[in-house]
Amino acid sequence: MSIFVSLPTLSGRRHAAPGRIGLLLGGLIAWLVTAAPLRAAALEPTSRGNRPAVNLNPNISVVVDGIYYHEQGDEPVRHLLEELEGFGHVHGGDDHAHGHDHAHGFEEGFNLRHLELMFAADVDPYFKGWAIVAVEEHGAELEEAVIQTTGLPGGLQLKLGKFFSDFSRQNAMHAHEWNFVDLPLINQLLLGDHGLNEKGVQLSWLAPTPFFLTLGLEVLQGDNENLFAYVAEEEDPLPERDDPRVFLGWAKVAPLLRGAHAVQLGLFGARGVHQEAHLGPDGADDPGSHWLDGHQTLAGADIVYRYTPPTAYGHHWLTLEGGYLFREKDIELLAHNNPERAPLLGNSLISKQDGLYVQGTYGFLPRWRAGLRGEVVGLTNSDRKPDGATESHDPSYRASAMIDWTLTEFSRLRLQVNRGEYETHEGREAVTEGFVQAVFSLGAHGAHRF
Amino acid sequence: MFSKTSEALVQRRARDRGTGFQPVLHGQEAHATRGFAKASSSRFLPLLLAAAFSVSARGAPAPLRVVTTIPDLAAIAAAVGGQAVTVTSIAQGHENPHFLQARPTYIVQARDADLWIRAGAELEVGWEPIVLDQARNRRIQPGQPGFLDGSAHVPVLREVPEGPVSRAQGDVHPSGNPHYLLDPLNARAIARAIGARLAALRPEQAAQFEAGADAFVRELDRRLFGADALAAAPGDALAAQLEAGTLDDWAARQNVTLDGWWAELAPWRGRQLVTFHKSFTYFTQRFGLEVASELEPVPGVPPGPAHLARVMQRMQDEQIGLILMEPFYPRKPADFVAARTAARVAVVSSYAPDTQPEAYFRLIEAIIAAIKGP
Repeated sequence: MSIFVSLPTLSGRRHAAPGRIGLLLGGLIAWLVTAAPLRAAALEPTSRGNRPAVNLNPNISVVVDGIYYHEQGDEPVRHLLEELEGFGHVHGGDDHAHGHDHAHGFEEGFNLRHLELMFAADVDPYFKGWAIVAVEEHGAELEEAVIQTTGLPGGLQLKLGKFFSDFSRQNAMHAHEWNFVDLPLINQLLLGDHGLNEKGVQLSWLAPTPFFLTLGLEVLQGDNENLFAYVAEEEDPLPERDDPRVFLGWAKVAPLLRGAHAVQLGLFGARGVHQEAHLGPDGADDPGSHWLDGHQTLAGADIVYRYTPPTAYGHHWLTLEGGYLFREKDIELLAHNNPERAPLLGNSLISKQDGLYVQGTYGFLPRWRAGLRGEVVGLTNSDRKPDGATESHDPSYRASAMIDWTLTEFSRLRLQVNRGEYETHEGREAVTEGFVQAVFSLGAHGAHRF
Repeated sequence: MFSKTSEALVQRRARDRGTGFQPVLHGQEAHATRGFAKASSSRFLPLLLAAAFSVSARGAPAPLRVVTTIPDLAAIAAAVGGQAVTVTSIAQGHENPHFLQARPTYIVQARDADLWIRAGAELEVGWEPIVLDQARNRRIQPGQPGFLDGSAHVPVLREVPEGPVSRAQGDVHPSGNPHYLLDPLNARAIARAIGARLAALRPEQAAQFEAGADAFVRELDRRLFGADALAAAPGDALAAQLEAGTLDDWAARQNVTLDGWWAELAPWRGRQLVTFHKSFTYFTQRFGLEVASELEPVPGVPPGPAHLARVMQRMQDEQIGLILMEPFYPRKPADFVAARTAARVAVVSSYAPDTQPEAYFRLIEAIIAAIKGP
């Protein structure tokens, strides 16, 4: 019943208070979960039956991801990416929570990216749950902690907790599922090194269509390190925004293809609060420090084609994939320590960037795959500053080649080379990177999503 | 299978058009009605109503939609369920069900299923959890009546190596070898389990499903033991003799001539062969053949030269003349070994070729033919 009480409340006001959203979500969840009648457990198998041992412990698996890294260029790639024209890494984000000393990118030599611990189990007849913790050398990060409904009616499914958003196929995957060592450049630049990995709620719907169609809505808190960044502090002039700050939607559609072929198309968009604090060397008191507040809008599409003929060990299997992401940042200059800039207050910074990647992998021998990836970021790359000045920047490029050897379903070795040309203030910088990666998994045999 | 899927989809569409029409059985009928609905609603409304009435008058409810992970299970379900079910299989006969990818098509198939039947014993572990999760179909979640795990209804071979079990022994399945349907006695048990489950889902048709299971078992027994033996003793008694290893003695005592699969493989009993993967174990054990070695050094790892050299040595020492393998494994290592040992390579799937009601029998007959050779 609660849903009928809550709905008019929301539609009656333009902005629901945070408490209302909570109430609405609570009501929705309670109604949906209990709407599905429980059914009696299945019949007991025959006495000949060979039942697996009863085990109420969660399934546990561990993935170890180690990388040897080498790069050749005038400047480390991770610095270039922070200074990339148009994509400048503002770090207006929740630095305090993420720890700014956290080094992004890889160090020369041996790296332990992380050790991923996964626990998964059915919670009860209504929910299943899992938790994934990425343990790094200097700490641990909670990647996912989710409960998900198992029996909502009408093709609905609700996910609550912290999770990788389904904002692009790539974003929903964990590092060990990637086809290359690193993320596509545009995902890394716009969504951050950890991707869009947020606390919130996701409601998705599998449509009763004669083809595959899933639609999803997500409401997320918005603590991402450089997207939907939120910085309001007590001494800041920025307004506090306590509600969920990101609203996001996606659609995945796939025709029913014959034989070994499969295609899936994804469309996604997001809008959220975005704030930036540009602090000078003296911090909040620096005469150059200024603060901006507004929104960021993202949209994108991806497509994947897979050909999986009935051969053993992945021989001749082919995956082709492409993705495109666009963002528009529209933030208003709210405060500036320099009084001369006072006339500009209320003007906006509008910044538009995009990027795409195209990649393919092919099983050229049993257990061996080769892959190529080409990327451009900044095809659209323009800023309009609060003073009305406009700037546009050249794009940056990266090409990658990899070979990997999947010894068994539980271990993989990979060799990858990247060659990038990055557009910075000082001009174009070229860097070559080399990776040797080893991924091992222990414990429960995990399933892999499409 | 694909035609089956589209049939099911056509029926679904017909239902979703809101005509109130519940298609009875065949895709063609549903198709015809769909055509009506398309043509013009007002003109054909009386016709549609008449169709709807005639359907409800006959009292046959919509067929149960059964989706299985492997075609063997689909074929058995089709035989047991007859006209009261529509059956599709996720894996096709030429595919290795262990290495499927969780494709969107599978999710759509699972979404519409009333009964999901899997082989179990971790055969589908790489993709089934995702498909069941994404299908959002409560009827077929584990623990529900619409979820049937075949491995819970047969004695599964553990094949646990000595000492502690670990992945150093390859992709071992801690819950046992999942290729159990190649033992016809297990197929009997599975047919009865499917019949019982269909009956539980649709009690008003229980008698029909039990009769379907009995008919399948009777036909299987006839092909396994021969008509003569079946005239002398009930199939269950023959199966019990076979399981106890006393079938030949019993037949000699009773002066009954055994025919069928059992008799066909009589010359091969006690002989050795080599397989690519541990997939024919149940078959060879039941029919008294012996798998001397696999070409895979451990399950899931392709053969290397050192292991092949050992296999060849053993084949020469023990005069093993047959390598049995599925089409989805690479042919090269088998040909390499065969060329140096004068062995014959027989390629045959360990899964039913399609989902027709008699496809399971054709599977067993194809394996027998492959073993016997030209």
